[in-house]
Amino acid sequence: MIKVAVKKSDYKSLNVELDEVLLKLQSDDLDVDTAVALYERGIEITKDLERYLKEAENKVSKIKADFS
Amino acid sequence: MDDVILSVTDFVGLLNQTLEFAYPNVVVQGELANLRVSKNKWVYFDLKDEFSSVKFFGTVYQLPGPLEDGMMLQVRGNPRLHNQYGFSITVQTMQPVGEGSIKKAAALLQAKLAAEGLFDADRKRSLPYPPSRIGLITSGESAAYHDFIKILNGRWIGVEVRLADVQVQGDAAPAQIIKALDYLNTHEEVDVIVLTRGGGSAEDLGAFSTEQVTRAVAGSRTPTLVAIGHEVDLSLAELAADQRASTPSNAAELLVPDKRHEIEKLSVARKTLLDVLNQHAKNQSKALKEARERLQQSIESSLRDFAQNLRLSRQVLNAFNPTAALKRGYAIVKSEGLLIRSITSVNKGDALAITVADGTINAKVSD
Repeated sequence: MIKVAVKKSDYKSLNVELDEVLLKLQSDDLDVDTAVALYERGIEITKDLERYLKEAENKVSKIKADFS
Repeated sequence: MDDVILSVTDFVGLLNQTLEFAYPNVVVQGELANLRVSKNKWVYFDLKDEFSSVKFFGTVYQLPGPLEDGMMLQVRGNPRLHNQYGFSITVQTMQPVGEGSIKKAAALLQAKLAAEGLFDADRKRSLPYPPSRIGLITSGESAAYHDFIKILNGRWIGVEVRLADVQVQGDAAPAQIIKALDYLNTHEEVDVIVLTRGGGSAEDLGAFSTEQVTRAVAGSRTPTLVAIGHEVDLSLAELAADQRASTPSNAAELLVPDKRHEIEKLSVARKTLLDVLNQHAKNQSKALKEARERLQQSIESSLRDFAQNLRLSRQVLNAFNPTAALKRGYAIVKSEGLLIRSITSVNKGDALAITVADGTINAKVSD
């Protein structure tokens, strides 16, 4: 699988998707194939999120205006 | 020598000229007395000591904050003789002196601003968590700045910081801080403004307890996080802020989550996913087992019914068994192989084969 960089906007939506996957996975009437598919998607999301947390950086810049 | 005879006005002018020449500017320190504000613009007061008292005159804009009679003040001003109202010193600058007076002045200011509601709990807004863009007001060369950035970088990612480099102590500090607050509110799109500096003396931290800076923090449209000095220091700006931190490092800790904690949460999430999946599998096999049992029971029940029916059928059949009838005394009568059921089927002299339970009797019809 090609590794695509996770953007900050993705970080939030991925978190939301993870919550949804966990919720769906806990419903009672779920056939095995769907359950496995949800599980695999959930694992994939956690790996993407972890990669983002480990690789993304902050940006510090100084305002040019003079305050004196 | 003949005395020069002056008019009253000329005398006043002469004296003021002399004063301006000899004492254009004096600094006097004494106890504040008879403080009076007129028309919300003019300020009159006396400075006195054990033996003397001198009148002063100034404007409200020169007041360093709320003052009270009895406080020690240091006033820089120009002495002059007013043509009508007598001698007074016109105020240039004034400030409380001595720890007691300074503390008193600070307490008075705090009370005044608190009464206006600047520090009310329900004014405080919650900060976005985590923020995307941070406006940072501090001294770019300070340890406070480096500590804040270091902790921020260690904890979180994807944050943009816009630094407004200002003086954080001295006379020039308040104006610079206010300018920076205004700039960040109008020219930058930031989620939160962080105003911070490291530890120092009460005088060093003074800018953050001035009325102007405190009002500017309270009036910021963007939510504010203020962290001044060490844990024990509490400036008025911190009271007016939406959130207060004890130190610059603590500010970074409050502002953003810890990514190490988030990574830990993800591995917990993975375990949860696996547990839920296993639970599903367990539930599935349990359901299967139950279905199999139900089927088994259903088959057994059907078989029992079938066996029952079979028994009943056999009983019924037994009832129609010819052998049983023969045992009961009935006989089967045949003539030349044909079954005789009626007297009209035989004639006198016909040979009959009469089968009874234990054998056949050969007979002849006599009647």
